[in-house]
Amino acid sequence: MSAIVETQGLTKVYGNVVALDKFTHRFEKSRIHALMGKNGSGKSTLVNVLAGVVQPTSGQMSLNGKDMHFSSPADALNANVVTVHQELSLVPELSVAENIYLGRMPKSHFLGISKIDWTSARTKTKILLEDMKLEIGPDAIISSLSVGQQQTVEIAKAMSFNPSLLLLDEPTSALASKEVEMLFRLLRRLRKQGTTMMYISHRMSELAEIADTVTVLRDGKHIGTVEMAETTNSDIVDMMFGNVAHNRPAERVSQADPNNAILKVQGLSRKPAYEDVSFELFKGEVLGIAGMLGAGRTEVLRSIFGADPFDSGEIIVDGQKIKDPDPQYMTEIGLGYTPENRKEVGLVQAHSIHNNLSMASLRQNAPLGIITKAAERPGVIKQVDNLHIKIDSAEDPVSSLSGGNQQKVVFGNWMNTNPKIMFFDEPSRGVDVQAKQQIFKIIWDQAEKGLSSIFVSTELEEMLEVCDRILIMREGRMIGELDPSQTTLTELYTACMEGL
Amino acid sequence: MQITQFFRRHPMEIILIVMFIFLVFAAPGFATVNNQLNVLRNITMQGIIAFGMTMIIVSGEIDLSIGSGVAFSGCVTAWITRELVDVTGPFFAITMGALTAMAILFGIGVLTGKLRQHFNMPTFITTLGLLTVLSGAANLITDGFPITSFPYEFNFLGSGYLFGIPFPVYIFITLFALVYFLMNYTSFGRSLYAVGGNLEAARLSGIDVWKTKTLALGLTGVFTAIAGVLIASQILSGSASAARGWELDVISAVIIGGTSLFGGKGTVRGTLIGVLFLGVIVNGMTLMNVSEYWQYVVRGGLIIGAVWMNHALDRKVKA
Repeated sequence: MSAIVETQGLTKVYGNVVALDKFTHRFEKSRIHALMGKNGSGKSTLVNVLAGVVQPTSGQMSLNGKDMHFSSPADALNANVVTVHQELSLVPELSVAENIYLGRMPKSHFLGISKIDWTSARTKTKILLEDMKLEIGPDAIISSLSVGQQQTVEIAKAMSFNPSLLLLDEPTSALASKEVEMLFRLLRRLRKQGTTMMYISHRMSELAEIADTVTVLRDGKHIGTVEMAETTNSDIVDMMFGNVAHNRPAERVSQADPNNAILKVQGLSRKPAYEDVSFELFKGEVLGIAGMLGAGRTEVLRSIFGADPFDSGEIIVDGQKIKDPDPQYMTEIGLGYTPENRKEVGLVQAHSIHNNLSMASLRQNAPLGIITKAAERPGVIKQVDNLHIKIDSAEDPVSSLSGGNQQKVVFGNWMNTNPKIMFFDEPSRGVDVQAKQQIFKIIWDQAEKGLSSIFVSTELEEMLEVCDRILIMREGRMIGELDPSQTTLTELYTACMEGL
Repeated sequence: MQITQFFRRHPMEIILIVMFIFLVFAAPGFATVNNQLNVLRNITMQGIIAFGMTMIIVSGEIDLSIGSGVAFSGCVTAWITRELVDVTGPFFAITMGALTAMAILFGIGVLTGKLRQHFNMPTFITTLGLLTVLSGAANLITDGFPITSFPYEFNFLGSGYLFGIPFPVYIFITLFALVYFLMNYTSFGRSLYAVGGNLEAARLSGIDVWKTKTLALGLTGVFTAIAGVLIASQILSGSASAARGWELDVISAVIIGGTSLFGGKGTVRGTLIGVLFLGVIVNGMTLMNVSEYWQYVVRGGLIIGAVWMNHALDRKVKA
């Protein structure tokens, strides 16, 4: 068997961060190669380099022995290297055929005028779909298809480029299990036809089913490659996390008062995002909700806060049943929510630091509807000092701050409302290591002062470090809880992936 | 150094002053007290609406219906006056008419907001429709002919002088002060900026985003009705063809004043400058005997130039 993709010392440096460090490997032909690693390990960088999205700082790669130098994704497409990205890139209003041949519709000529040859477009699409044994018509409008069908159209589009290398970046993250089955049947058929694939996924159970080899990266380095059939899940997790996999987090005294459940959630459901979610949050507790991407963590928090509706279930705050939560009312009774995508919905980027720190507390500061900057200034100064927000002037736009400082502004905005309950959704995303530690310390300090909080993070190490108790969510259901002081990273990771 | 800073932050003020000085020398009769008062009176009606429009645009919405709104409220006031004047006397009849017009336009503003909230109807579309609906309604009320039901004393409101200054100017100043206060010293005003700057971030911060937008639309309805009553007073009748095309003048003044059409950014002080700017230019060109057609060309060019300059300076201040 001849190697189809070879890399030699492939390196990508961003500023002073080495995202990919001398990656050297040979990916064999007609196989499905899983790429694994925690967030920031370099697997996406590797895929981006192979797909021509970014250019390597140094090192070579070759396809079937021929050197590859891609300066754009178009170059990669010309070399038959095709990528299916995590986010769907289809135009919802157009048909399957139009999407597959977007920008390169077959043309015919009539009296010297070039026009789209619809018959040919339909026929070619039909042949392509039948080849893949897909039961979708070429005229179906994308928005009328299920997400799973859309994902298969995405792969059909990729196939129309005749890929010799197909790169799949978390193709299943938006799919239900039946749709995953459909996708896997398709991938196996492609493998039989000789396509080489690289497959990024966080779902370990899927890998056992679909992958032939597993390549693990950590901190940009190639840790190792093993045959899927000859390895176990815990071996892979150990490779992913290295020495810390079995470390226990430092002991922290929990402030939780188990006799005082300040928030009770009973049987909360909103299908298909989550179902029958029940839990209690105690006063002073830092409660974690762990789970993989798409497990429903954010959706549950948003429903409790009233940002999204729910179908059924009960929310009880401080013994009082909440009928129809909306963010305004929940803010009033002492809840707060720092959203996961702070850039888009946590801040008004063009506005000043002062205004962003005073947004949630606006009505508290203006009982009669009248407000002055002077009345808000103590709160602004307090948060800038307490949270060590680095600023020149509070009148500067918040967009001029670094990610970590922006996150602190989001925190400060809520701290100014003197909340009883806080939901922290991915508070460490896009934040450097030092700011991360400061943010955790803020959460602990507030817990000591009686704040109850729910902490959600994709970084499982953080969950173990920060939380007093961790609930596990998987595919929209609450499947159990773990005591972080008695849990290793491998155990937590396995619980999130495969259940308890 | 400080002068360049000042220029960058207040470009329109500087240009207004430069243009003013130019006109003092170039336009015969420009620098007289009478002419200046005339300029003031001419800008009040559109100015009043522009203050409200600033709140709407900052909140991320728009109102294209105000031209017809002005005509409609003048006609409603005239019609109610005609029906009531024999029973109640002119003062009460006119007051009733004016209050009714304000209430209707407030209600329509609220309705526009509700359509936006519950059916995601863009205000651009709703108010574009209302522009035609209200124009039709004004014609229905008047049956195509101006209603001349007002007593001569009513003319004072739009054309009279108090302490030597046109009466509408007092209303203009009062409403400017009101909007300035609302936008700078109330939670409603702060919410306008937050809602227009980032709707979802504002909502997740517990701000009642729809109440904020709806109130801005409703208040501007009231301001539009006030302008309508003032116009009716000036021409002493309710006419369905009054104020045609005002929506573009009003929005131009707001934009020239530095308010972003995308929402979240702008001040009513800027709008005041924009209103003065347009008023002075039109007056100056008329005095200099520039043809009306050329006036349109120049005004349009100035709008484009002002927006371009605001954007260019904005980038410089940031960098």
